[in-house]
Amino acid sequence: MADYREAPLATRPKTLDPAEYFNLSLNQRRAEEERAGLRAQLKRQYQMQLNNPHRKELIEDPALTRWVYARTNPYNHFRATKKTSLLGGLFGVVPLFVLYYVLKTDREEKRPCIYS
Amino acid sequence: MHLQFGCNPPTKSQRRRSEEKNTKKTLDFPKLSPDACVFHCSMSPQQLNMAAVGFRNWARALSKGKQPGFSALFSQVRAASGPSKGMLPGPYPQTPEERAAAAKKYNMRVEDYEPIPDNGEGYGDYPQLPDRSQHERDPWYSWDHPDLRRNWGEPIHWDFDMFIRNRVDTSPSPVAWHTMCKHLFGFVGFMLLMFYLGEKFPSYQPVAPKQYPYSNLHLERGEDPEKQPEEVKHFNI
Repeated sequence: MADYREAPLATRPKTLDPAEYFNLSLNQRRAEEERAGLRAQLKRQYQMQLNNPHRKELIEDPALTRWVYARTNPYNHFRATKKTSLLGGLFGVVPLFVLYYVLKTDREEKRPCIYS
Repeated sequence: MHLQFGCNPPTKSQRRRSEEKNTKKTLDFPKLSPDACVFHCSMSPQQLNMAAVGFRNWARALSKGKQPGFSALFSQVRAASGPSKGMLPGPYPQTPEERAAAAKKYNMRVEDYEPIPDNGEGYGDYPQLPDRSQHERDPWYSWDHPDLRRNWGEPIHWDFDMFIRNRVDTSPSPVAWHTMCKHLFGFVGFMLLMFYLGEKFPSYQPVAPKQYPYSNLHLERGEDPEKQPEEVKHFNI
């Protein structure tokens, strides 16, 4: 394993990371075990639903539901800070004025050429 | 006529921790007795329940005399067929207990759970996951959803739709990112500069206005044939 070189343009897999093998403290090991436990439980739940012969509906993924909900409802937790106000002004208010100014000036310049 | 179905089973994440204590290994689907089903319908029980509840709420809200008609549609009543309020994302956690509850909700360890910093941009308590695209995940592991390289129930990155395998790739690049940026923008900038200078200071063969024969095409231009054509001098020697 010492001479493993990852494939070009690929990240080194977590299982081949040298930090995973050498000088691991007990806490790190315990943390990895807990994470593996969580993963295993989720896998088990999914497999139980997947292979249930009496299941007629789609398997609902609560993580997906939460993600969709979080992405579609940001304004529940929106606060007007300096940064958000600046961004809102920059993308919502300034283009209105800039576009009006640019288009109006351009049209005023073209006007005599058209109506001469 | 009222279709009676059992309540929805507790969501899978809620039962996750107590799974070990549960002795029976079968899934709790609502127990339907034969006389509970009034008739068979093509929609699934959940859809019908949701539709019935939603319609009933809407009708009840509209018929209430207190609320004006239009704002009654925006009442706080929500159908009970989706996840409960506690399972959906909420506000930024302030206390350690809220943090622990949020970590449990998102199926993460309490130590791993780190909410996105609260800067008012509307993230709430959504966890901050590493910004790694799905390209970087192990292609040989048996994922539940192999095309997305994701397992069921795993917390989804906020920008997951950006990190799928058709889109942004955060894999290591052959040369460092800043080097690539310098090379590209340096080249493009140089070319732009040179084209601009070429426009500003053109250099070409000496040219002069076109010279026409027959006294500057006197007759062809429709002038008087009797009149003497004017002399046009094109050069000075």
